[in-house]
Amino acid sequence: MLYNEKAPILFNEEAGRGIWIMTLDAPEIAATALPGQFVHVRIPGMEGHILRRPFGVYAAFPEEGTIDIMYQVLGFGTDHMTHLEPGERVEAIGPVGRGWQPPAGCKKALLVAGGVGSAPIHPLVGQLKAQGAEVTAILGAQTAEALVARQRFAEALGCEPLCSTDDGTFGRAGFCTPLVQEALDEAAASGQPFDYVACCGPEPLMKLVASMAEGAGVFCEVSLERRMACGVGACLSCVVDTVNGKKRACVDGPVFPSKEVVW
Amino acid sequence: MARKPRATSVNLAVNLGGLAMKNPVTVGSGTFGAGMEYSDFVDVASLGAVTTKGVSLNGWEGNATPRIAETASGMLNSIGLQNPGVAHLKEVELPWLADLGATAMVNVSGHSFDEYVAVIEALEEAPVAAYEVNISCPNVDAGGMTMGCHVPSVEKVVGMCRAATKRPLIVKLTPNVTDITEIARAAEAAGADGLSLINTLLGMAVDARTRRPKLARVVGGYSGPAVKPVALRMVWQVANAVSIPVLGMGGIASGTDAIEFMLAGATAVAVGTANFANPTATVDVIDGIIDYCEQYGVKDVNELIGALEC
Ligand SMILES: Cc1cc2nc3c(=O)[nH]c(=O)nc-3n(C[C@H](O)[C@H](O)[C@H](O)COP(=O)(O)OP(=O)(O)OC[C@H]3O[C@@H](n4cnc5c(N)ncnc54)[C@H](O)[C@@H]3O)c2cc1C
Ligand SMILES: Cc1cc2nc3c(=O)[nH]c(=O)nc-3n(C[C@H](O)[C@H](O)[C@H](O)COP(=O)(O)O)c2cc1C
Ligand code: FES
Repeated sequence: MLYNEKAPILFNEEAGRGIWIMTLDAPEIAATALPGQFVHVRIPGMEGHILRRPFGVYAAFPEEGTIDIMYQVLGFGTDHMTHLEPGERVEAIGPVGRGWQPPAGCKKALLVAGGVGSAPIHPLVGQLKAQGAEVTAILGAQTAEALVARQRFAEALGCEPLCSTDDGTFGRAGFCTPLVQEALDEAAASGQPFDYVACCGPEPLMKLVASMAEGAGVFCEVSLERRMACGVGACLSCVVDTVNGKKRACVDGPVFPSKEVVW
Repeated sequence: MARKPRATSVNLAVNLGGLAMKNPVTVGSGTFGAGMEYSDFVDVASLGAVTTKGVSLNGWEGNATPRIAETASGMLNSIGLQNPGVAHLKEVELPWLADLGATAMVNVSGHSFDEYVAVIEALEEAPVAAYEVNISCPNVDAGGMTMGCHVPSVEKVVGMCRAATKRPLIVKLTPNVTDITEIARAAEAAGADGLSLINTLLGMAVDARTRRPKLARVVGGYSGPAVKPVALRMVWQVANAVSIPVLGMGGIASGTDAIEFMLAGATAVAVGTANFANPTATVDVIDGIIDYCEQYGVKDVNELIGALEC
């Protein structure tokens, strides 16, 4: 079931360099969103820009009836969003899409997020912990200030995530992929390999992480971004090439098993 | 909750060349699937008709991504008529629409004259109320717009489709021609029961930063509020040039937009790109038509058709 909620903004502030958190009062979506799903948002005051913008659900709070999204300022819409005040209303279609589908008996998971890719991965930590899995998270960002999800990951994990920054201002210097390879290697060497890898971030990162996971024989899922018009599966704007033909990123994804993606 | 239009004493029923519609609002083919994806938002059976995504005989893959780009008050698309083929439509979407009691108009495409006919023949036993023959898609190399730009090919494809069915045959025209009235007359002469227009305008968008086109196919079809003045002008010209009814579309997002098209000569209208920003746009347009009629004392929407004073 999809809802189109007229959602008052409760909070909208910069959390790190060019990365903002927005809290929406959207009870139906908050009650039903699954980890990895997204909302397709109509932003007020930019009617000349006729398309909605898709954002992953960073956190859903069913009791409060709210959801958080984390957005990076990139173009007109995301810049315009920074000027919205609490009390103004967006319209959000959601919860959309196929979220993360970790294997049923998942015992040990590795989550890898690049930049704002941390948003749709964050709710997965709670889901995996609740089913008793051991979770390792790796966050990569350009610089320390852009690691805005670190604290929430630490709270959900009960320990610090592994971090890297491109400029070396926090954690390992450089890309996060060496951390991923090390984690996979160490787990394998310890005799307790990972049984699930989830990755969201820039496509080159996902492709690389998918090949590392596949190399280690671990089932891997990735969350893909495509230009979206309808966001509900009707217009075929957002297709992804898969081994089973063209699939819609909005409703057949955005999460796909990495082995199905034709990169 | 799926929305329905509000109750009214205004007569909303219109007849589009033999297609009986309970109100004058359908959807632009390709913007609404066959309605399933929008059924959480609107009661698709309450629409005048559901026009399905363009269908070919055995299905097409469509174009590479990116397939869309947002432009000022509009968008470009180059989907390329991706569809799973007529058998899938018959097995899945048409029975679903029939169960709901929805009125289905099937948008028909083909790479060749014979393919159009084959699609219609495949559907003759299926629950279809009318065909919309798409000779106007700018996003395929063969068939589509290439067929809809020249009088001889328009006469041929419409004539062949006409011979294949007794059902209402609506022919969808491209705006990418020098004189749309010439094409409209050719379609009428070849046996069309109605004309729908406009399909998208051929356009292009460039990313200066990367020096690349924004669409993988480079060019695509332009739609949305930005094209409304062009669409209105063409609907008006065509309605004055032929005696068969016109289904108007291009940038319609509100009841007022729809009324403007009807005044210009449209018997019915289609809501396309507006569905993307507003998933209840179809019902909002019907409600807006009701508002207008009640406000201006219009008892029957048919009074509005071609009532432009000029
Ligand atoms: C399923 C999904 C989930 C996403 N989750 C997040 C998230 O949690 N946080 C976040 O910061 N970003 C996320 N994105 C990317 C986000 O949608 C774009 O950054 C945003 O739409 C840019 O809008 P703009 O108006 O600022 O950019 P403009 O460049 O002005 O946008 C023009 C058009 O291109 C589209 N567009 C531009 N960049 C992208 C992109 N990378 N992916 C898809 N469409 C794009 C816009 O939606 C719009 O239609 C997600 C994308 C998808 C597909
Ligand atoms: C994403 C998209 C897909 C479309 N697919 C089709 C199609 O399959 N067949 C067709 O005849 N027209 C297709 N069209 C054209 C629309 O039906 C309509 O004629 C056009 O978009 C103008 O109306 P609008 O401005 O309300 O969208 C498509 C348009 C869009 C935006
Ligand atoms: S965005 Fe329309 S089908 Fe995915």
